[in-house]
Amino acid sequence: MARAEIAVSGLGLVTPGGVGVGQSWEAALAGRPAAALDPALKGGIVRLSCRVPEFDAEELLGARRALRLDPFVQFALVAAREAVADAGLDPATWDGARVGVVLGCADGGPGTVETQHRVLLHEGPTRVSPLVLPMQLPNMLAGQAAIEFGATGPNLVVATACASGATAIGTARDLLLLDRCDIVLAGGSEAMITPLVMAGFARMGALSRREDDPATASRPFDADRDGFVAGEGAGVVVLERAADARARGARVRALIAGYGSAADAHHMTSPHPGGRGVEAAIRTAIEDAGAHPRDVQHVNAHGTSTPLNDLAEAQTLRRVLPGTPLVSSTKGVTGHLLGAAGAVEAAFGVLSIENGVVPPTAGLRTLDPRLEIEVPTTVTSARIDLVLSNSFGFGGQNAVLAIARP
Amino acid sequence: MFETLKEILVSKLKVTPEQVTPEATREDVELDSLAVVELSLLLEKELGMNISDDELLELDTIGEMAELMEQRSTKV
Repeated sequence: MARAEIAVSGLGLVTPGGVGVGQSWEAALAGRPAAALDPALKGGIVRLSCRVPEFDAEELLGARRALRLDPFVQFALVAAREAVADAGLDPATWDGARVGVVLGCADGGPGTVETQHRVLLHEGPTRVSPLVLPMQLPNMLAGQAAIEFGATGPNLVVATACASGATAIGTARDLLLLDRCDIVLAGGSEAMITPLVMAGFARMGALSRREDDPATASRPFDADRDGFVAGEGAGVVVLERAADARARGARVRALIAGYGSAADAHHMTSPHPGGRGVEAAIRTAIEDAGAHPRDVQHVNAHGTSTPLNDLAEAQTLRRVLPGTPLVSSTKGVTGHLLGAAGAVEAAFGVLSIENGVVPPTAGLRTLDPRLEIEVPTTVTSARIDLVLSNSFGFGGQNAVLAIARP
Repeated sequence: MFETLKEILVSKLKVTPEQVTPEATREDVELDSLAVVELSLLLEKELGMNISDDELLELDTIGEMAELMEQRSTKV
């Protein structure tokens, strides 16, 4: 029996481009960078970030609920609600036991940890909030979604650093192929723009220092790129077997046709210079989709704007994909959403197929001459049948999704 | 003292004001065991009042909590 097709039937986004798929996609197509000087990072080494604009958690989730949720969970719940509604599903009537949740994040709720650590140091342990653990534990992402939607099926959070969102979607697809459930809310969420985390990234040399020109700080594949700009937000997709989606009259927006996961086994932060794990993940995803490397027409790249990532990634794409696909990094607009990036960018991949357009890479002025790939800097119309969405994490964890036209 | 307690529940724990009545139970105002620990911490921090979460959990209503607060504040 042929393997089931896995459909994306709903999309939900909370990004630095805006709250909702409409605003996020519009910002991506407009090439409008979200990076700005962040007052919350005053005194930090690098004060640039990409925040979600106009996210009113009390308004969206209710004051009492918002108070008890770290932003990384707030973003995910808002994105998941949009995805569920987009899929035309009603949690009041579905069989919750057949609904799974697989979400990813790199760091849980470091903002909650840092706040409560200050309380511990300055006021003592008896003043520490009883909510410090239930608010910051990474697994709460999926646990809170289960509560919100009555989803009592398989429920887990994956952590592959900046590949987490893509790993979650790939893992969710596997659950559906194994018939562990019928519907999965899958994606990633991140809210780690905090003083300690940002100090850590800056000390690693990972961040752009271009504070004098925030709009071009994130400039993937540019000759003068100098690091990423940290972003926050969430992306959630509803996955189900395509036959199930069609049977209930739902729209199959795209297929998660293939998934590749591979480790560099090289270094705790630097990508393998030969792109070993990246190449393996790309080849696996394409093969899993029953496609050929020349079939790939568009890549939503990991493209962080760090010198090492973009070089290794571009060289690998050049070597592995003979069809000269149009390569975009939407991180020029959103910054790097870390554990949410893979899910947000997979959603953009779905939208590229649906709309026949490839988003520009904002911030890019002069393509690094060593990178022999095609990177549009304006919205480019093209029929897209097969997209790769690349996500690579510190620790050498690589996840690639092959997204296809249904 | 009821008004003091209500103010803390509403402003700090974001309980809906209309829900806070003397007859309301902990369930009515959605105070789970974690929120009761928070409330105990707030009473100490805001009012200097030592009432443990265990003591609060033994009481059935918001009114009874306010009464205990009254007793504690007059003893001092």
